[in-house]
Amino acid sequence: MLKTKEYSRELSLVAAIIIMVIVFSIIEPVYLSGSNLLDIMDQSVINGLLALGITYAIITGGIDLSVGSIFAIVIVVVGDLLVSGLNPVLAIICGVGIGFILGVFNGLLITKLNLQPFIATLGTMSAYRGIAYVITGGWPVLDIPGDFRSIFNSDIFGAFPVSILVLLAFAAVGHIILKYTKLGTYIYAIGGNEEATLLSGVNVNKSKMLAYAISGAGAALAGMVLLARLGSGEPAAGQTYELNAIAAAAIGGASLAGGRGNMIGTLLGAILLSTLKVGLVVVGVDSFWQYIATGAIIVVAAYFEVIQGKLKGMRVGRSNTKAIGVGK
Amino acid sequence: MEKQTECIVRFQNISKVFPGVKALDGVSFNIKKGEIHALLGENGAGKSTLLNTLHGVNNEYEGTVEIQGRIVSYKNANEAIQDGIVKIHQEVSLIPELTVGQNIALGHEPRKGMFIDYKTLHHDANEILTKMKCNFKSEDLASTLSTGEMQMVAIAKGLYHNAKLISFDEPSASLTNQEVQTLFSIINDLRENGITILYVSHRLDEVFEICDSATVLRDGKHIDTFQLREVTREQLIKKMVGRDVSAYAVRTKPSPKTAEKVLEVENLSVNGVFENINFHLHKGEILGFAGLVGSKRTDVVRTIFGAEEKSGGTIKVKGVPVNIKNPRQGVQLGIGLIPENRKTQGFIKFFNNANNVGLTKMEKFSKYSFVNHRKKTENCNYYIDEINLKPSNPHYMTTNLSGGNQQKVVISKWLSSDAEILILDEPTKGVDVGAKAEIYRVLEELLEKGKSIIVVSSELPEVLGLSDRIIVMREGQKVKEFDNQNLTEEDILQYAMGVNKDVKN
Repeated sequence: MLKTKEYSRELSLVAAIIIMVIVFSIIEPVYLSGSNLLDIMDQSVINGLLALGITYAIITGGIDLSVGSIFAIVIVVVGDLLVSGLNPVLAIICGVGIGFILGVFNGLLITKLNLQPFIATLGTMSAYRGIAYVITGGWPVLDIPGDFRSIFNSDIFGAFPVSILVLLAFAAVGHIILKYTKLGTYIYAIGGNEEATLLSGVNVNKSKMLAYAISGAGAALAGMVLLARLGSGEPAAGQTYELNAIAAAAIGGASLAGGRGNMIGTLLGAILLSTLKVGLVVVGVDSFWQYIATGAIIVVAAYFEVIQGKLKGMRVGRSNTKAIGVGK
Repeated sequence: MEKQTECIVRFQNISKVFPGVKALDGVSFNIKKGEIHALLGENGAGKSTLLNTLHGVNNEYEGTVEIQGRIVSYKNANEAIQDGIVKIHQEVSLIPELTVGQNIALGHEPRKGMFIDYKTLHHDANEILTKMKCNFKSEDLASTLSTGEMQMVAIAKGLYHNAKLISFDEPSASLTNQEVQTLFSIINDLRENGITILYVSHRLDEVFEICDSATVLRDGKHIDTFQLREVTREQLIKKMVGRDVSAYAVRTKPSPKTAEKVLEVENLSVNGVFENINFHLHKGEILGFAGLVGSKRTDVVRTIFGAEEKSGGTIKVKGVPVNIKNPRQGVQLGIGLIPENRKTQGFIKFFNNANNVGLTKMEKFSKYSFVNHRKKTENCNYYIDEINLKPSNPHYMTTNLSGGNQQKVVISKWLSSDAEILILDEPTKGVDVGAKAEIYRVLEELLEKGKSIIVVSSELPEVLGLSDRIIVMREGQKVKEFDNQNLTEEDILQYAMGVNKDVKN
């Protein structure tokens, strides 16, 4: 039941990416080379995995600021495990498990203690970062074994890096959960109207916890991709990555008010951001200007959402946005 | 032919098209200065759109609006307010952390240099509040007020801006009977002072009580404008729905009530809210809960469903003692709650009908957690056919339906969950006359199918017309249980308001 109307945002993102590629390649033909396009994809992987995960938290109406710190914990723990000789496949399973558990802990704070997601994950962002430092005593983990690195870094079909497959697979699984499982429906329902969902007999706490667990798992995968790429890991890795991830999700149409967002949009949002970044580098724009361009894209994308909302006539009354409604 | 100066508002050929819907279609009529003018029509008739047009919220339309002979086109609600055209919203929005006076003057505070001149502000606000005979002060915090008092603040805000026309959109929906009477006396005072009132309400009793004239809209078209004393209630309803519908709740079939008790509640209490509630529900009956606002009826039914935690007492479902801790357990025991507030508690606004209907029991069309979308749609089709939803389309967004049809979707949710005990809290709140009759018919059909129903309602004709038995509550206590035979509204009110109080006849 694919309707063009339903996916209008995703189609415009694809158009925006294509336009960017065309503009950059006119200015600098090298941009269009196969290796450069792969580079863009490669750059999308880490932010993409983080963003896909965070999208789950955002759809429930929450946020997960701790992804960058979960990312760092997974890097140092998996790094240590590998250096001490653990089988790489087991290490990867451990890594995903750690991300999942740290996410569940976020979920517990948000559901059982009834904390606001922003505050709860602001707290764990700091605490998890601290744990990463404590684990290594502040030192980096060096000399990651080659067999682990080659799992992520090897190419399939000659030129297609495994890390990109990890991104696409995570997006596909995430998409299937959202679209075709009860959990997915519950996650959208919670973001749309938590009270109505609770009164429908849905186990809201469990669904929310799983959403944050998936967010943690995405961060874990991203961490291991970086660990394999660099061959070393440090506890300072991934600082402020949560902001880029939120940006990708927002560009992809995830609403911070909850209830809206999807994997395809977020994936395209991440690709768009790296298309822009790589493009600006190739064309030779000063790195300071890259920040400004990124900011502009986020604002334009958000405004696009507003215009779309207006077209649909779904604007919410202005008077209700600030004051609270009283009188039941 | 009326003289133009007599009219405060002239609508001429107002049309407004939303994607797929013609909300207003060439509406023309006049509102005379100083009258209380009712704007009537079923949900979806175009009342809100017309109000929004008058108050500058909807600023893209065809046709013209004249205020006192001058064509206006307000760009936003604020411009309308500056011009003395004020709307009191259905659900009053105040900022709780600010004082009453700050709320009244918000955005137009008097100044002394750079600073707000609070002395003048409170003085001006208190003057208005005194005139309105309010028993709170401009210096009080908004959060300390009751719902009725908040509405007074909203009216005071209008007067602060020298309102010449004030619109009320369902003002009595969340007020107690006493507060409604206070509101009416204020509205009458406003008219004495030459202020024109536009009054939107579904409660026809109120309209006949205080309005002078009325305009009826149907399907976006202007049907008639007339003096209310020239029509009967039946004629008015006929104009609104375009057909004969009994606006009164009546049972058309004999009650299928049986002796079997599906629900037994003993000494149910929630500390500080209500205590020692005892009653039972028979299979096949409608049990009505009457009481004034604040009688805690809603809290009792929410506790039975598991939305609130009980502090004492026992609940038996079909003779088995149960301990319901959350709504999920309530659902599993075959209880369904159609909550008081559809929009914030009843359905998900981003969901279509199929998802909203299916949400209560997704297991029905899922296997190993995976949802079968085709079966989900079939499931929805089954129930919305049964309940006669219009438009009967599972892919339609619930939020775009009329109030009555939204309510039918919420009822369908619970049919889909196979609930045996249905609790309806204010089932026809904000629902138009035609849809009300249909919801009553649906309830009767559900009884025939072996369901048992509890109806909580503030509308006495509804409780009286529907129920086999009626429980009256007051301030957290069950004060009376009636068999519904030859009961009058007065009988119930006597208990609802307290037998020691004088009861108005």
